[in-house]
Amino acid sequence: MGSLFRSETMCLAQLFLQSGTAYECLSALGEKGLVQFRDLNQNISSFQRKFVGEVKRCEELERILVYLVQEINRADIPLPEGETSPPAPPLKQVLEMQEQLQKLEVELREVTKNKEKLRKNLLELIEYTHMLRVTKTFVKRNVEFEPTYEEFPPLENDSLLDYSCMQRLGAKLGFVSGLIHQGKVEAFEKMLWRVCKGYTIVTYAELDESLEDPETGEVIKWYVFLISFWGEQIGHKVKKICDCYHCHVYPYPHTAEEREEIQEGLNTRIQDLYTVLHKTEDYLRQVLCKAAESVYTRVIQVKKMKAIYHMLNMCSIDVTNKCLIAEVWCPEADLHELRRALEEGSRESGATIPSFMNVIPTKETPPTLIRTNKFTEGFQNIVDAYGVGSYREVNPALFTIITFPFLFAVMFGDFGHGFVMFLFALLLVLNEDHPRLNQSQEIMRMFFNGRYILLLMGLFSVYTGLIYNDCFSKSVNLFGSGWNVSAMFSSSHSPTEHKKMVLWNDSTVRHSRVLQLDPSVPGVFRGPYPLGIDPIWNLATNRLTFLNSFKMKMSVILGIIHMTFGVILGIFNHLHFRKKFNIYLVSIPELLFMLCIFGYLIFMIVYKWLVFSAETSRVAPSILIEFINMFLFPATETNGLYTGQEHVQRVLLAVTALSVPVLFLGKPLFLLWLHNGRSCFGVSRSGYTLVRKDSEEEVSLLGSQDIEEGHNQMEDGCREMTCEEFNFGEILMTQVIHSIEYCLGCISNTASYLRLWALSLAHAQLSDVLWAMLMRVGLRVDTAFGVLLLLPVIALFAVLTIFILLIMEGLSAFLHAIRLHWVEFQNKFYVGAGTKFVPFSFRLLSSKFNTNDSVE
Amino acid sequence: MLECAELYFNVDHGYLEGLVRGCKASLLTQQDYINLAQCETLEDLKIHLQTTDYGNFLANQTNPLTVSKIDTEMRKRLCREFDYFRNNSLEPLSTFFTYMTCSYMIDNVILLMNGALQKKSVKEILVKCHPLGRFTEMEAVNIAETPSDLFNAILVETPLAPFFQDCMSENTLDELNIELLRNKLYKSYLEAFYKFCKNHGDVTAEVMCPILEFEADRRAFIITFNSFGTELSKEDRETLYPTIGKLYPEGLRLLAQAEDFDQMKRVADHYGVYKPLFEAVGGSGGKTLEDVFYEHEVQINVLAFNRQFHYGVFYAYVKLKEQEMRNIVWIAECISQRHRTKINSYIPIL
Repeated sequence: MGSLFRSETMCLAQLFLQSGTAYECLSALGEKGLVQFRDLNQNISSFQRKFVGEVKRCEELERILVYLVQEINRADIPLPEGETSPPAPPLKQVLEMQEQLQKLEVELREVTKNKEKLRKNLLELIEYTHMLRVTKTFVKRNVEFEPTYEEFPPLENDSLLDYSCMQRLGAKLGFVSGLIHQGKVEAFEKMLWRVCKGYTIVTYAELDESLEDPETGEVIKWYVFLISFWGEQIGHKVKKICDCYHCHVYPYPHTAEEREEIQEGLNTRIQDLYTVLHKTEDYLRQVLCKAAESVYTRVIQVKKMKAIYHMLNMCSIDVTNKCLIAEVWCPEADLHELRRALEEGSRESGATIPSFMNVIPTKETPPTLIRTNKFTEGFQNIVDAYGVGSYREVNPALFTIITFPFLFAVMFGDFGHGFVMFLFALLLVLNEDHPRLNQSQEIMRMFFNGRYILLLMGLFSVYTGLIYNDCFSKSVNLFGSGWNVSAMFSSSHSPTEHKKMVLWNDSTVRHSRVLQLDPSVPGVFRGPYPLGIDPIWNLATNRLTFLNSFKMKMSVILGIIHMTFGVILGIFNHLHFRKKFNIYLVSIPELLFMLCIFGYLIFMIVYKWLVFSAETSRVAPSILIEFINMFLFPATETNGLYTGQEHVQRVLLAVTALSVPVLFLGKPLFLLWLHNGRSCFGVSRSGYTLVRKDSEEEVSLLGSQDIEEGHNQMEDGCREMTCEEFNFGEILMTQVIHSIEYCLGCISNTASYLRLWALSLAHAQLSDVLWAMLMRVGLRVDTAFGVLLLLPVIALFAVLTIFILLIMEGLSAFLHAIRLHWVEFQNKFYVGAGTKFVPFSFRLLSSKFNTNDSVE
Repeated sequence: MLECAELYFNVDHGYLEGLVRGCKASLLTQQDYINLAQCETLEDLKIHLQTTDYGNFLANQTNPLTVSKIDTEMRKRLCREFDYFRNNSLEPLSTFFTYMTCSYMIDNVILLMNGALQKKSVKEILVKCHPLGRFTEMEAVNIAETPSDLFNAILVETPLAPFFQDCMSENTLDELNIELLRNKLYKSYLEAFYKFCKNHGDVTAEVMCPILEFEADRRAFIITFNSFGTELSKEDRETLYPTIGKLYPEGLRLLAQAEDFDQMKRVADHYGVYKPLFEAVGGSGGKTLEDVFYEHEVQINVLAFNRQFHYGVFYAYVKLKEQEMRNIVWIAECISQRHRTKINSYIPIL
């Protein structure tokens, strides 16, 4: 508990790392994750630091590894992930590793390049065969059109025309054929027409199979085209246009024999290529499989190595260049571990001079470290989300473990819902080692991280559900109700009693719609129900009125206890930081203010519960009126709760009124007095430094929270520099603001705790409505068909219960519970201005192949 | 258009505007430039760029790193961003984006035609083309021999087609004609873009019009400056000036008569905006006219981000990013050529 109550004591240590052993030492430290490094080279940009070359080398290795992983993934070879994380590679092996990897990369690149080339070749050949096949049909079709060409001769009468015609026909008839992307066909044809002014004939047909594009590897639809044209000039243009549209142009065979020949040649070549390609792929697979075995280890090793060099870059270099000096924050409890890690590191590297460390005094505020386990982690996270605690401050997480689920449960009080939530959380807790849960994403991850919170919330909800006696909005009659209806009938009483009481007879029962039980009638109320609310209230029409009164008072009582507890925790803080005056001048007035008003309110509530019984309830005064009268001093006397009430209230009010000025002015005036006194002292004893270790106030005046007994020797040296300027106005302003906030806060925060009532009411009503709207309808149907209807109704009921009542309502209750902790509870004592201790630990490096971001 | 763009702008373009403002925040800061200028090698530059929003965009580049590799990668990055904007845009913002790409398309066409003139292969030049101005028909540009050919056969279906109305001629495309073609295209492009923004009205017009006016005037000045000592006649020169800027009409007429830099400067002296720019030329640090214009461009582009609910931010962002890329390339060049004295004459983005 000690470690959760306050953050651990930290010390600043200087590590002297011999340059030969620095790497090994850091490797040992990283495995243990003990220390947080401070950046000593903040004003040096990243590429001017000492180990930038090594970092670059690591990046080069990473690049190769990313390439490897990419290739392995592409080949669909499973990547084994090691269970244990391998240690950072010894320096001697790094060069070897780099060489190996580089060799592997070169080899892989070559093989893949060859493979790609072969593939491309193969695809082109396949395209060519397809083209040949399709264009054959074009030619056949052209034959059908032949008659139109034969109509030309009659025009040859004109000699001039004849000549030019001959010229044209004599010019070489050219063909360009190839494949083009489906999407580009239209634009291609248009441009051909525009450029060649219609002197070309384009025929094209869609290829029935989709082929892979040799350039991009995409599988798309293709069109085969055949362009016939006359003349060189146009031919050039056509070719250029083909280039422009990235057509794959293949030579067009002019005769059928040629075509056959080519086709045969192609077929054999394709066969050959297939076998070669298979061989290459097999080889590639072998290489990749071999690489895949070690790639996980390599990735982790390189990551660790890079982390080590990043840390080394934060160290400053000794003047002699023999050793590196690192400054680290280390928890005091771990100092011997740290020493041992350094020894280990030195031993491993076999250095003659060991690396050593040395604790140095400091005035800086250390980072906050609170050790958590899997149970407390979730609660600590709730507190940290508000603000990481200041160093050595009281940590509210400890109390949150109980108060948080409890306040949640007050709002979520339902036995059934709580039990479902508990079961769900229990499932998560029991299977917490399941790898799929560990790696779950987003929302599931959120639930998983908060599984222990959920577990406790569920448990507490079961408890409050029992107290409220709510189970899916129905009450459970466990012990038998304490109320007896039959006692209300006149026949069960002797006639003497009849006169005093209003009893029922047959006619009243028959004629009135609503009947009221009177607890003052003997036998009607047989003592309280053993646990929680009596189930008979579930039938009562005035159930809400009764529950509201109960829940409202309960929320106020809980709230005030919670807040008072917060103020008391503040006292622990003041004690720890040796600001005793704060207790007298701040905490105690605050407590008095709170207790004299709201503590008294609680007293009145409890008093009224205890003192007034069913018989005297008619004369019981209203607490609200009494409470208001406490401040208003009414002229007319009221009968009050007890005798002498007026005097007690006067005294309480006087105490409250007195505590306010103390709260406002006490601390600033005291500090002013101290300051003046001190400076007088200083003048009278000028000549030597003032050392008054015995005065606790003075120590606290230094305003630093981290002075520990152990550091007293060095305090003297540091004192002069930390004597901050004393600014009375500022202190006064801060204190006044704080006090106003507190006094107003007391009222508004108390009102804020009424949300406990409001939310629990809303929850109960919502589940009631759900029951009334769904289950009651389902249950009302007759027995024959009822089952058929009941099944879907129950399913719907279950779904709505889970989504609306459990998830939605649970979320809202969760948020309100968080708010009550952050705002109402923690602002009474918690500063939360610290920084988190982030140790240099290899465990924080991800052990996954994050290929996603590297591919992007 | 209604007056209150604020009410419905975000319905269609709010996402993209938010995105572009986020992108703008990732531009390199003054501190980044100082750090970059301290780099000793291109590897250092790469490491430093990794700490900025560029991330590890060079990570997959094999050694050795060259300036052109950096440049290509940066362009690719910008192009990816721009494509994302464009794919997610709705009318009329998508038309606006199309207008933005037109200037790059013109440059690419001209580049390809020049290449064809010098008998270089298309592939070689394609690499140099700006990725933002890519279009399918581009590679067939060298088929054409005259501007009207170019229009009729190739560009008639591209967004560039409307800009051809002024330059349909049957002249063969030699070097001078290509340059004339470029300027004429640019002139009609700017005028069309200006008209589009003006018609759109609202904040877009208020922001974009000054930017385009400046662009037009800059072109006028640059055309004048480059025509000194060439065979371009003054009348021809005047036809190349875009007529939307502050210089129109009086300034352009005077500019057409200018014969040397001093006369040009005298024309600029009549205009409050351009006077200080011309005075800065050749002053401390030996700034060229181009540098001064770039600086002013950066200034007005940064100002575009002060207004909300308009398209100008997209234009300004791309221009600023381009300037940043020019700066990085400049610094990288200085580093790789060991020419450190001039390394600081990049144009800071405020």
